[in-house]
Amino acid sequence: MNEHHKSENQIQLEQETVEAAKSDPAKFGLLYEKYFRQVFVFVFRRIGDEEQAADIVSNTFLKAMLALPKYVFKGVPFSAWLFRIASNEVNMYFRKTNKERIVSLDKSDLSTIIVESGENDSTDVQQKLLKALATLKPEEMQLIELRFFEKNAFLEIGEIMGITENNAKVRTYRIIDKLKQFLTKIGGI
Amino acid sequence: MSKFKFNIDPKDPQEDQITRHKNFGKVMQNYQRMTSPIYKKPLYRHRKLFLLIVLILLVAWLVSEYGEDNVKQHIIPTDSIQRTNS
Repeated sequence: MNEHHKSENQIQLEQETVEAAKSDPAKFGLLYEKYFRQVFVFVFRRIGDEEQAADIVSNTFLKAMLALPKYVFKGVPFSAWLFRIASNEVNMYFRKTNKERIVSLDKSDLSTIIVESGENDSTDVQQKLLKALATLKPEEMQLIELRFFEKNAFLEIGEIMGITENNAKVRTYRIIDKLKQFLTKIGGI
Repeated sequence: MSKFKFNIDPKDPQEDQITRHKNFGKVMQNYQRMTSPIYKKPLYRHRKLFLLIVLILLVAWLVSEYGEDNVKQHIIPTDSIQRTNS
């Protein structure tokens, strides 16, 4: 369970704050205080540059404030909606700058993917898995990042990527299969 | 060339690095600037709108000026018509 996970009660209380912010934008400050750190880390892990990350985070919160009247509660934490906006901003940044995307991960995350694909973990297989990950499309990598590197629930991943929970699950396991096939081809597994 | 650069076991930014960029006042200011109704701002603050209005007024003035001259040139004085008839 990561810091994004919340109880039903916490989500309901948060929803009340969101509704209050819809009629009084100054109350959005409470949500800003609560989520600034999480959104900053989310963006920083993908950008790798502090100043750029700060600009993107600022734009994310501004866009969230502007779009707040259209926000519809779907039973997931408000942070999932903020991550969706942040994710779009990050994608826009890479489209504009044409820079290499940064994928931040812990070595233990690689082990999780290897175990998920039903194989034995080793340094050699981890190296080959990195090569396999490099062949993924950006949206495929986004799913892997959200699920295995940031440990989000499929429901939240669906909200962040604008797809259903089930679709997020199906797509993730398709990518795992794809990685497995790539590793078999290069003699990793 | 790979589309991705892998950052293994990265360090999350320090708390002071994060709080340095936290500024809700700035976000709120931008929000108010973007949501305040157009008529509440002086006209000169909307540069494009101001220039468009100036351009429309200029075109309207030119049309009225030159349009009037053309009409005057095409009007034949009535006394000259009477003289030719007699």
